[in-house]
Amino acid sequence: MLYREAGQFKSSYGADEAIFPIRQDRWLFAAALIVAYVVVPLIASEYWLLSILIPFLVFSLAAIGLNILTGYAGQVSLGTGGFMAVGAFATYKLATSFPDLNIVVVFILAGLITAMVGVLFGWPSLRIKGFYLAVATLAAQFFLIWMFNKFPWFNNYTPSGVISAPPRAVFGHVFVTGAEANSVDKYLFVLSAVTLLALAAKNLVRGRVGREWMAIRDMDIAAEIIGIRPLKTKLLAFAISSFYCGIAGAMWAFIYTGGVEALAFDIDRSFQILFMIIIGGLGSILGSFLGAAFIVLLPLLLERTPMALGFDVPVNYLSNMQSMIFGALIIFFLIVEPRGLARLWQIGKEKLRMWPFPY
Amino acid sequence: MAAAKRIGEPVLEVRDITLSFGGVRALLDVSLEIRAREILAIIGPNGAGKTSMLNVINGFYHPQEGTIAYKGRVRQRMRPHEAAEQGIARTFQNVALFRGMTTLDNIMTGRLLKMRRNFLWQTIHWGPALAEELEHRVFAERIIDFLEIESIRRTPVGQLPYGLQKRVELGRALAMEPELLLLDEPMAGMNVEEKEDMSRFILDVNDEFGTTIALIEHDMGVVMDISDRVVVLDYGRKIADGSPDQVRRDTAVIDAYLGVAHEA
Ligand SMILES: Nc1ncnc2c1ncn2[C@@H]1O[C@H](COP(=O)(O)OP(=O)(O)O)[C@@H](O)[C@H]1O
Ligand SMILES: [Mg+2]
Repeated sequence: MLYREAGQFKSSYGADEAIFPIRQDRWLFAAALIVAYVVVPLIASEYWLLSILIPFLVFSLAAIGLNILTGYAGQVSLGTGGFMAVGAFATYKLATSFPDLNIVVVFILAGLITAMVGVLFGWPSLRIKGFYLAVATLAAQFFLIWMFNKFPWFNNYTPSGVISAPPRAVFGHVFVTGAEANSVDKYLFVLSAVTLLALAAKNLVRGRVGREWMAIRDMDIAAEIIGIRPLKTKLLAFAISSFYCGIAGAMWAFIYTGGVEALAFDIDRSFQILFMIIIGGLGSILGSFLGAAFIVLLPLLLERTPMALGFDVPVNYLSNMQSMIFGALIIFFLIVEPRGLARLWQIGKEKLRMWPFPY
Repeated sequence: MAAAKRIGEPVLEVRDITLSFGGVRALLDVSLEIRAREILAIIGPNGAGKTSMLNVINGFYHPQEGTIAYKGRVRQRMRPHEAAEQGIARTFQNVALFRGMTTLDNIMTGRLLKMRRNFLWQTIHWGPALAEELEHRVFAERIIDFLEIESIRRTPVGQLPYGLQKRVELGRALAMEPELLLLDEPMAGMNVEEKEDMSRFILDVNDEFGTTIALIEHDMGVVMDISDRVVVLDYGRKIADGSPDQVRRDTAVIDAYLGVAHEA
């Protein structure tokens, strides 16, 4: 009796258009928000906030960005790391050139700059598809990282090449970057940004824009005969996707690590985000979060479980095991369930909804 | 049956179209017109150039020679999305739906051109953006009722049987509120009952909304039943053009097409 659709009659299409048309889903979502905004700040340790929750949120944002482009619009990209780097370095240049600019504005501007770079590198998508587009985005990835390494202007001529976040406050003395920033403030700031951006993404993908993306993904010929302009639609996907990745990169550099070099956003990062959306679910906003959580938590689990059971496993064993598990899971999801953990979650819910009558 | 209908002036005039692919002549000097509010059937053996004709009309193929005048405007080439903007919708011989999307979403895509709110509005899904979404949802639901596909509203179309997919594809085209509807073998692979349903839908659309329809069909019974006029293609040439009765008695047609069909 916990999870029922029966008896909840939708009185109008309006009710049917809510993000969570089923009441129990709304409660679950509200509960998750309360835990995230109230309970976590009260009980979570520094370690959990800084090393697990903040990177989880930043990864989720990047995964949403890539999911928009690859999962919804069907344009494969291996340039996520490169776009994150653009966001990080744009934030650095803006924050150091205009110290009075509010950090929120800086992040948004950095996102917009990344969006423009994304559009530039998305241009070939009109002509090339699939594998060849992936190669083109790979070229973008290498070019961007090379560029940030090559020209010291991007890091204000610091010899180490590391850009470190200057202290900036959202308002008053609520610092979210720099050494003074307190971890709860950082966490709440990232959480708010990710909540807003995830809701915006969810709204986009379930409306006209999302349907245009999915139409291009599923069959571009048919998309054109219903009036979709392929280039415009693909470039919008590149722009919005890059906006998300750019902000994720900015938060990575400025809030999570506090200082990075371009190498933090190399090709490994691109693959890592790609794995998140494959495991979490292509074409799912929830899946972006699930995939990010999985990839952040799996190493932790692998490290702690043997310890808790009293085994002593060497570290290099663990990292090998991790690669093997990732590899196996990716093959599993690609072949068996391309819609990932999000789909498994949905199936689970449907089972629960029918319970105890399977038919 | 068709006597009461107000068939009007030609809305589309195809003149002297020649289309070839390398050495293959798909269309040779074909002229035809489609008149307002009529149901025109294009028939002919396989490979006659029927699909190519539809592809020329909605901008997929660009003919080497000839012109197309639509609603009085002559053009030589255009993109398919421009055809859509001018009110031409179509379905494909091999269903071309968005397989990962539900029936409802597929039909909603037919409303894209009529939705005006930009992506920033869409990110909030509230106020004017929500009102617009709901307005088009109501329209999509009317089509779902009309085509009697309420029960598969939320089913991803990739999971539907072929006959239903054809129906959803018609629904997506109808959602565009087209002035000219091009249907490429809408009844291929259907059983008798499904064909009857589809014929009824086509007649109703033509009747209720005054939509001009050009369709390709192999089943001569259906063609004779629902069309006002028939154009016959054979090896890329037009060999007949007239009422179903005229065409049925035409010796060239009997030789080229019906003869073949009867032997088969
Ligand atoms: N894209 C294409 N490339 C090469 N040849 C084509 C193409 N489209 C159609 N044709 C050729 O044009 C001729 C007419 O094909 P089509 O219009 O599909 O016939 P129908 O629909 O009447 O069966 C055939 O010989 C076919 O092989
Ligand atoms: Mg054909």
